[in-house]
Amino acid sequence: MNSALEGKYAVTMDMYPLESSDFNRIHPFYDHLKEGRLTTTRCRDCGKKSFPPRVMCPHCMSENLEWADLPVTGTVLVVTEEEVGVPVGFETPLIHALIDLSGELSLFARIRGCKTGELKEGDQVKLTVFPVDPLPVDGKKGVVILQERVFFAFEKL
Amino acid sequence: MRNVCVIAGGQSIWGVRKATQRDIFQEAGKACFQDNPAVSNKDIDGIIVGSAYTERCSFQTHLAPLVAEYLGIQPKNLCVRVELLCATGSSGIILACAMIKSGQADVVMVVGGEKLYTPQRWEINYSELASVDHDWDSSMGLGLPPPVFAAVAKQHMKLYGTTEEQMAMVSVKNRRNGLNNPKGQFREEINLETAINAKAIVPPMKLYDCCPVTDGAAAVILAAEEKAKYLTDKPLVYIRGTAQASLHNMSANFSNWTTWESLRIAARQAYTKARVTAGDINVAQTHDCFTISEIIEYEDLGFCEKGEGGYFIQEGKSDFGGQVPVNTDGGLLSCGHPFGATGIRQGIEIMRQLRGDAVKQVEGARIGLTHNLSGFIAAHTVLIYGRDLE
Repeated sequence: MNSALEGKYAVTMDMYPLESSDFNRIHPFYDHLKEGRLTTTRCRDCGKKSFPPRVMCPHCMSENLEWADLPVTGTVLVVTEEEVGVPVGFETPLIHALIDLSGELSLFARIRGCKTGELKEGDQVKLTVFPVDPLPVDGKKGVVILQERVFFAFEKL
Repeated sequence: MRNVCVIAGGQSIWGVRKATQRDIFQEAGKACFQDNPAVSNKDIDGIIVGSAYTERCSFQTHLAPLVAEYLGIQPKNLCVRVELLCATGSSGIILACAMIKSGQADVVMVVGGEKLYTPQRWEINYSELASVDHDWDSSMGLGLPPPVFAAVAKQHMKLYGTTEEQMAMVSVKNRRNGLNNPKGQFREEINLETAINAKAIVPPMKLYDCCPVTDGAAAVILAAEEKAKYLTDKPLVYIRGTAQASLHNMSANFSNWTTWESLRIAARQAYTKARVTAGDINVAQTHDCFTISEIIEYEDLGFCEKGEGGYFIQEGKSDFGGQVPVNTDGGLLSCGHPFGATGIRQGIEIMRQLRGDAVKQVEGARIGLTHNLSGFIAAHTVLIYGRDLE
């Protein structure tokens, strides 16, 4: 029997970005994450910062961009706790919070390492970077290369 | 430019269906033609097919010619698919309208639907990760919307004193409205106590505060006014004004979670084009994906002042006999929410209300409104329908 399903229904979805320079022009963002930095792009021509990072300034269309650091700690504004229907690949309870990064940016981010009822409005959180599923990339002569990947969330200080 | 009328509409049974995507598209097409025997598939010169998850859940792209073939339609002027997640159906109606106004097509079917339940039941909690910004929001475990709307509700409660009881009243009303809807997913009444004591999904969003996941399809036929006069014996219903607005996509760029600026813009544009005001609307179908959504929509559509949405439901102003009955067929909370079909279902209900043959009729309704939000509350779509042109 020729099989592509291998006994499993085709449900897989890659929930993380293609991060490497083979696939992504903003790959330095992920290199910075590995250094514990949260960064984005700023336009050298009009001075405006955008998030998420870009290859083109959405304000003036310039491609003359530079990397800028964002705060790695923030204040919790709103907490949500998901106990039902958490997508596969994420822990239950799945906690999210709207966090204020020192007035620079508001993110609705995943909060790791918290139990239900543990995180409160006004709490301080800090960036956490962790490995996620490596990306299987086809190499030459049937070799599959696993590209390491990281992603970020926040955790309670 | 030509005037556009909606001359027929129908839908499949909605719910957890033992049927393929193409099965339920056929059911919707059939129901649509049955609604108006004066128009046949041979009259259709354009088809717009809406589906958000056709590739993800049915492994099928190039969907419009497939659906056309199954419905016996051989369009000569337009054959295309559209997608704007939860607003896919109403986006199809807007584009069909533009094509007819401009003379690109005369009689266009807009048919949308989703087959979301796959043999792997857990997959639905996972597939929806494709609905928001994949690289930045999905990777945070967002996608299924309850956390987002829970965060909206918490902020609205804090700012304006909106209560869980007021939110529950929205689901009680919409369940009651959907009781006799023969095609809806839920046809059981619930009381306030049941709604308030239901299990938590993401607090303060509880079971009945959230619309379900739904398989289903719906179809309407739009025609240029001069054609419509010959293709229906029923009262003409005009599409008077349409608008869509989007000011952000990713969560970090959503600047105000409790005043939906893009909804206010879309509403203003649609009212202006239709030459009406919020006070002229006799009946509305708004996007009650969550109870808090409907409450904010009362405000940002201009049915009441900002922050008074909770009192609007509490005082019965969105119920039959009130200022503007909202979600008269049960809304998303009762009917369910197959993304590609929802805006079309809303359009069908407004068409019936304005023709005077709705299941639960708003007496004398002349002007109706439909609204959808989509994605991370990232785009808003508003359409105004009327029995008259002025």
